[in-house]
Amino acid sequence: MDETAERLLGSASRLSRDPETEIDWEAPIGDGYGMSPEWSTLYGTPYWDELTEAQQRELTRHESASVATTGIWFELILQQMILRDVYDKPPRSAEFQWALTEIADECRHSIMFARATERMVEPAYRPRLLARELGRMFKTVATGETAYAAILVAEEVLDVMQRDWMRDRRVEPLVRTVNHIHVVEESRHMVFAREETRERLAGAGRGRRWVSALVIAIAADMIVSSMVSRQVYANVGLDAERAVREARSNEHHRSLLRTSCANLMDFLGSVGLLTPAAARVYRRTGLL
Amino acid sequence: MSYVISGECCSDASCVAVCPMNSIHPSPGEPGFGAGVSLFIDPRTCIDCGACADICPVDAAQPADQAAPEDVERNAAYFAEREPLEATDLDSWEPPAYQVWGDGPRRVLVVGAGPAGMYATRELLLRTTAEVTLVDRLDQVGGLVRFGVAPDHPRTKQIIDTFERIVGHSRVRWLPGTDSTSLTTGYDAVVHAVGARRSRRLGISGEDSACTAEDFVAWYNGRPGATLPVQLTGPRAVVVGNGNVALDVARLLLSDEDQLRQMDVSPDVRRVLAASGIKEVVLLGRRGPETAAYTETALQELLAAAGDRVELRFHARPTSWTSEGLTLESGDTIAAGNLFTAIGFEGQAVDGLPFDADRGIVPNVRGAVVGRPGHYVAGWIKRGARGGIGVNKACAQETVTTLVSSSRAAASPGS
Repeated sequence: MDETAERLLGSASRLSRDPETEIDWEAPIGDGYGMSPEWSTLYGTPYWDELTEAQQRELTRHESASVATTGIWFELILQQMILRDVYDKPPRSAEFQWALTEIADECRHSIMFARATERMVEPAYRPRLLARELGRMFKTVATGETAYAAILVAEEVLDVMQRDWMRDRRVEPLVRTVNHIHVVEESRHMVFAREETRERLAGAGRGRRWVSALVIAIAADMIVSSMVSRQVYANVGLDAERAVREARSNEHHRSLLRTSCANLMDFLGSVGLLTPAAARVYRRTGLL
Repeated sequence: MSYVISGECCSDASCVAVCPMNSIHPSPGEPGFGAGVSLFIDPRTCIDCGACADICPVDAAQPADQAAPEDVERNAAYFAEREPLEATDLDSWEPPAYQVWGDGPRRVLVVGAGPAGMYATRELLLRTTAEVTLVDRLDQVGGLVRFGVAPDHPRTKQIIDTFERIVGHSRVRWLPGTDSTSLTTGYDAVVHAVGARRSRRLGISGEDSACTAEDFVAWYNGRPGATLPVQLTGPRAVVVGNGNVALDVARLLLSDEDQLRQMDVSPDVRRVLAASGIKEVVLLGRRGPETAAYTETALQELLAAAGDRVELRFHARPTSWTSEGLTLESGDTIAAGNLFTAIGFEGQAVDGLPFDADRGIVPNVRGAVVGRPGHYVAGWIKRGARGGIGVNKACAQETVTTLVSSSRAAASPGS
């Protein structure tokens, strides 16, 4: 573990990015998409086709802001879980120092996301109350592989979307830069989370694996379903009922999620966290 | 420090997708992708995050300080003439490509559980909601990964773990040891991924008493039912062919008992190889070294293992094989106890599908079989016996894309 952590610390010193200085926060915002339109929860539905291009653009900006807000939410959860996990670890160890580096990264990311959403759209979004309360509980009790694999799932789902958005020339430049900063630093966090998950699971019995796998899957479901608030649709002047209904049965979106999360599912499978019960949850969520 | 990719790279390009710095090339779509067998990491821009190593299905990406010096050098050399890509300039990246959802097929039959069939199954699971029936004549998934990759390359075989997880998916019905001919009705589409494992023939007299790469490789890998059709006779053997398979054959023949013990081969194979008395191998290229199909890393590996006992001969066309040895067009005879032919593989005709005998493939347009709606091909039977394991991923993606976009129009393929 310390070897991985040392390498990651080295990597962070080679390239860490400071959104404070790297992004010109005063630069005017254009009218680009907030995310790749294909990633919109409505893309491919009849409702999407009824919208004008300007409405589609506006919708993606709100969806992107909502996703970023969800990102802030689980970055807060994550910071608290990591802090609890390393509380009594020796401060001189690379693992300890890397953990604090990661917290510092997440802290900067959350501020960056908050500022970017403020620049992009008027209304503020928050995950729904149930998700917030479950998150409150989760961050207090989750330990070991449950904590790290949940971190991994959350970060990876966000990461795969952002990899597309950052490369997409239709997307607003501010969003592209913010996403790239996040993707670079997240790549290290995910390596760490995988390593921790593997290590914590070594020697875990079937019962514990079964419970952990299910808890992680439920956490993933909560995260994915919280990404885009239903408030988004109302705020861009859509029929929220209809939008939610069409988004829920949007096979294009599910296929995109499934494709993007293939590596994640592969990892969970390789460490034995894709039990039949967990797999059922992932299928329902649209990740498998 | 940076990461480097070793010669065991499978080129499936998972690493390209996860590299946050765009440091891994050639990426799919770039010149050179799929032609060589390896990808490379640009040491000038790699930030040592390790994302590539985490994702690599064959553990070929490693930290530079733990990798072989040749690998470090090869990675750096690939980029020596190229400008570094500025990763923060996002316009230097390829824009993302999306596939639009198109209802998709409900039931698909995939024939063949080798790499092409497995990647096709995976793509179908990801891009459609179809139920996939997967059949193979053999009892296990893996095809040529299991029964073609040399036993001293265990890391390459790790990809079988990934394949086994695909088989476990709830939308996959896996029918091992099944002949597909009874099954082709009742599906919206059939993907034939049957490979091309039959050895090409030299067409010289006496060839029948030589040993083909197909037979030899199947034997040392323990393919069910495979036997060694010849008796190994030292001290010299000739291997005709300049591909990586020819090099595998030479390496195996020259492995001593200690080396064999490190490999995943049956005691019987180990005993026969150790007792063969073969001490030297002549590797024969019918054309010049510039057309040789082996990769540099495979050659280095062979020379490192048995350099003093391998003779490379080029521009040597064999004309006949007798108990005296192999006679060449020049009139020379190379005295040898065994002749191995490893000059490539060819596909065999598939029942009910058209066949291009010259190229050894089923004629197709981006995977759709010409003149047979509802039938698709992937892997070696689609593009000829070229390209490593990972290349099948891009190949299967193309086929499944074609399948998904045309499946709505297709009639039942059995009709």
